[in-house]
Amino acid sequence: MPNGLFGTRGLKLLCLVLMLTGCNPEKQWQLQEITGHLPDLRFSLMSDTGQPVTDQTYHGYLVMLFFGFTNCQAECPTALFRLAKIVQRLGVNANRTRILFVTLDPGRDSQQALHRYVTAFDAGHAIGLTGTDSEIENLAKRYRAAYRPKKPDSDDIVHSAAVYIFDTQGHARLLVTPDDTIETVANDLRHLLDSLRL
Amino acid sequence: MNPLQWLAPWEASFSIAVVTAVTAIIFIRGCLRCPLLFRQKLYFGAGLLSLYVVTQTQIDYYAEHEFFVHQLQSLVLHHLGPFFIVLACPKDALSAGLPMAGKRLIRRVSGQKPVQCAVKVLVHPVAAVIVFVGLLAFWLLPSVHFIAMLDWRIYRLMNWSMALNGLMFWGLALNPDAIRSPGSRIAMMLAVVPPQILIGALLFFTPHELYPIYTLCGRTFTGMSPVTDQQIGGLMLWMNAAMMSVIGILIVIHKELRQPIKLNN
Repeated sequence: MPNGLFGTRGLKLLCLVLMLTGCNPEKQWQLQEITGHLPDLRFSLMSDTGQPVTDQTYHGYLVMLFFGFTNCQAECPTALFRLAKIVQRLGVNANRTRILFVTLDPGRDSQQALHRYVTAFDAGHAIGLTGTDSEIENLAKRYRAAYRPKKPDSDDIVHSAAVYIFDTQGHARLLVTPDDTIETVANDLRHLLDSLRL
Repeated sequence: MNPLQWLAPWEASFSIAVVTAVTAIIFIRGCLRCPLLFRQKLYFGAGLLSLYVVTQTQIDYYAEHEFFVHQLQSLVLHHLGPFFIVLACPKDALSAGLPMAGKRLIRRVSGQKPVQCAVKVLVHPVAAVIVFVGLLAFWLLPSVHFIAMLDWRIYRLMNWSMALNGLMFWGLALNPDAIRSPGSRIAMMLAVVPPQILIGALLFFTPHELYPIYTLCGRTFTGMSPVTDQQIGGLMLWMNAAMMSVIGILIVIHKELRQPIKLNN
């Protein structure tokens, strides 16, 4: 048995561990790849123009999903500003992308407030989404994003820092972190859109 | 959030609910047929309940969104919960409470050659120590941890593997048997201490964020920096690993000291 463990079987085990730990010499993406690890895009919410929308509404678009709230002082405006810049960098591909900003504060973020907020960053491609507490909790839970209903006496809302990228078929593909540069994200999104065209 | 909402699972798991309920029913049936001491029932109940509570209440939400709470959850799954279950010595009660069909199934499965081989390897003290520490270290590898916290299937695999491995390790270390001497069982518990202290110290002394997944998915305590969170998580592993082994060793010594008195009586 010990020979087996350190012989061919040991080698196979090592390969399996290396595969699991992500030691892949050919890295296709500069961003964190999440293909197969998060479920497909699925939701049923209200858009900032008062229209009921689902994941099917954005079928065929590359979706950048972000959770936040309009009274957020730092992360949300920075993230939306970055996403708007990234979309600009995509050039002709920009029309194939949508930024979905899901509010974590549906009690305070009215559709009008959401609309004003997202259009200030990117009127053509950003859409604010809202819904009931449970609809938003279910969507956040689906993507393992932090969500706690807002305390009445506090302005602070916990939220995720990641932007989830879904391909045109609604499959979760990449995760954008605040440390990724605009150029890096734009390159990978261009690459993703090109691969989807083939 | 009202107290009842705290008891609602963050991510309900059918398998955890069923396994917990079935185990509890088998144990209660067994207790009616083969009387146990009150403290045995208490230990078993506390162990089983703790495993359920850390995975099927709102604690799980905090474990997904704060590293030190995740470490607390791991501590219960890998150490505390299994430790209490094993301390109850529930084997006889579970066996008495098991329906005939269940007994036949266990007999059939344990009679299989591959199962016997696997058990033979896994119950070896050296293998048990390597698997116990290796599993803990594997799930804490930053790239593995990233995916485990993101993919719910791997997250559940992690929690199940920790709880089952905990049951196996503490079962071997605390229960007296004919194959492993008390000395080798004490050695097992001592052997798992240094690697856990080392991993805990590495987490504590690393000056940068090793697990950015918590920031990406959102941290639940906004006032705490990622490195502080990591340091608390590291300290928990560092201190508690040693503590659990010391308690385990004292229990084994205590049982051994009582042995000759029993024989004289």
